Amino acid sequence: MKKIFLCSNLLFLVLGTMLLSCQAAMASGSTVMDRIHAAKEPFDNMKMETAYQLPVKTVLAKESYQGGTFRVLARKDSITRFRCSVCHTEKKMLARDGAFFTHSDIEINHGRGDDKLACIECHDEKDRDFLRDAEGKNIDFDHSYRLCGQCHFRQKRDWLGGAHGKREAYWAGERVVRNCTSCHSPHSPAFETKMPVTYSLPLDQ
Amino acid sequence: MNSSRKKEGQMKTKKNEKKTTRRSFMKNLSVAAAAGSAGLVTGGCVSLEKTEEMGLKWEEYFKKNYRLMTEEEKGETVARLERLAKLKGDGDIQMSSQGPRENVLYGYAFNISRCKGYMDCVEACVKENNLDRTSKTQYIRLFEMDSGQLDPTTGDGKYHHEVPVENKFYMGVQCYHCENAPCIKACPTKATWREPDGIVVVDYDWCIGCRYCLAACPYWGRRFNWGEPEIPREEMNRKQHYLGNRMRMKGVMEKCTFCVQRTRQGKLPACAEACPTGSRVFGNLLDPDSEIRFILKHKKVFRFKEELGTDPKFWYFID
Ligand code: SF4
Ligand code: SF4
Repeated sequence: MKKIFLCSNLLFLVLGTMLLSCQAAMASGSTVMDRIHAAKEPFDNMKMETAYQLPVKTVLAKESYQGGTFRVLARKDSITRFRCSVCHTEKKMLARDGAFFTHSDIEINHGRGDDKLACIECHDEKDRDFLRDAEGKNIDFDHSYRLCGQCHFRQKRDWLGGAHGKREAYWAGERVVRNCTSCHSPHSPAFETKMPVTYSLPLDQ
Repeated sequence: MNSSRKKEGQMKTKKNEKKTTRRSFMKNLSVAAAAGSAGLVTGGCVSLEKTEEMGLKWEEYFKKNYRLMTEEEKGETVARLERLAKLKGDGDIQMSSQGPRENVLYGYAFNISRCKGYMDCVEACVKENNLDRTSKTQYIRLFEMDSGQLDPTTGDGKYHHEVPVENKFYMGVQCYHCENAPCIKACPTKATWREPDGIVVVDYDWCIGCRYCLAACPYWGRRFNWGEPEIPREEMNRKQHYLGNRMRMKGVMEKCTFCVQRTRQGKLPACAEACPTGSRVFGNLLDPDSEIRFILKHKKVFRFKEELGTDPKFWYFID
């Protein structure tokens, strides 16, 4: 019994080594940069047949990516008290409800140093269901990147190209990226200081 | 082959059985095979499940190196491994043997000016890839670095305090999936290779655990299983790939596989998906319209120890 094992083992090993070394020789040669420069045809990302369905709502972006379209995560759905105009009316209200209605929970930590932004620098004073850019144009909450990009134009350029922000779940398929407000709180956009979620053991272990 | 025999011998036995020596294990196998082929149901002696398990292990023992298998043989071994996992009590594993796609070469970019050192990537990787909890194996290591430094060996790889610390930056290190990988050349059994889509993988059933590759890698890319990897059953990721996150055994090498079980389905690797700061960009290097190509074209990028000629597919960049 044992002899048979050894014989067959040996055969496999010799055969395997021969076959594999052939393959290795064929594969070697060009560097990554060579291969990248040689690849000029866009990859058909929609060809990935794997079903990709995001559990979140997205909207078609009003900008283009590499000459084509892309989608961003919707924002309005996650604003707790949208639509704003339900409360922002001319109607009178009771003083005791003030704390609830005046967004007293929101702390503005956006702007340089002590020069904090005021609400109406981004929100439309007349139509509370929209944001408003410096030129006075209405901006939908789902497309807040158009507003943020006014000041943060470098980040926006990187975001459009893919060097800032991130794709949602898939590298292939239709491009879906996070909105500015998916990661940054618009009222306090800097990332917080906190404990890391785990730790590593010393290198020599 | 000798190696896999050794491993089989080491395979953990269930609690209620005695630990078998290699010799008695081999003997049992032949007995089981004989019993199976004769169609005997030996009541009270060897249970049906036991017979089946041994038969499967027997066939597993004689399989080839993954690269030499036909599609059919790949399908068969995957089916056997799923069944063996079930018999072992690991539940319903879905194991894939999905191959690489044409015109895809995976690449990775890491933004060192954005990473805050939160380590969500490390945690997500451990869970996704069924990494051993006992030894706290991690494929990714984050280094806290002094500004101006670009060599992670100068950084702190075991920090545990509030992050980010002012005037520090964070650098993630993992397998770079080198195009010209020294680990592959070092392997005496060809148990590790680069797939056509660029992922450097290990055939866990072919690895003899010599650790030559670990010594050859200049980037701490590889992890060795000194013991039997252990994971709480309820935390096991059952969506697996033969070359990826399937359960490893004691005495074999493993490493980051760019989450082959995810990426070949079009998904992002777990680390890239988990990162809350968007510091991790993953994509197809052969697609001129991909995000990673945008970064290579428009950002200041560098690769770690590029002068070694390992040709990594992992770039660092700054805003
Ligand atoms: S980083 Fe190390 S383990 Fe990964 S491919 Fe390169 S040499 Fe091999
Ligand atoms: S430890 Fe590394 S070098 Fe040794 S057989 Fe396994 S993959 Fe190959």
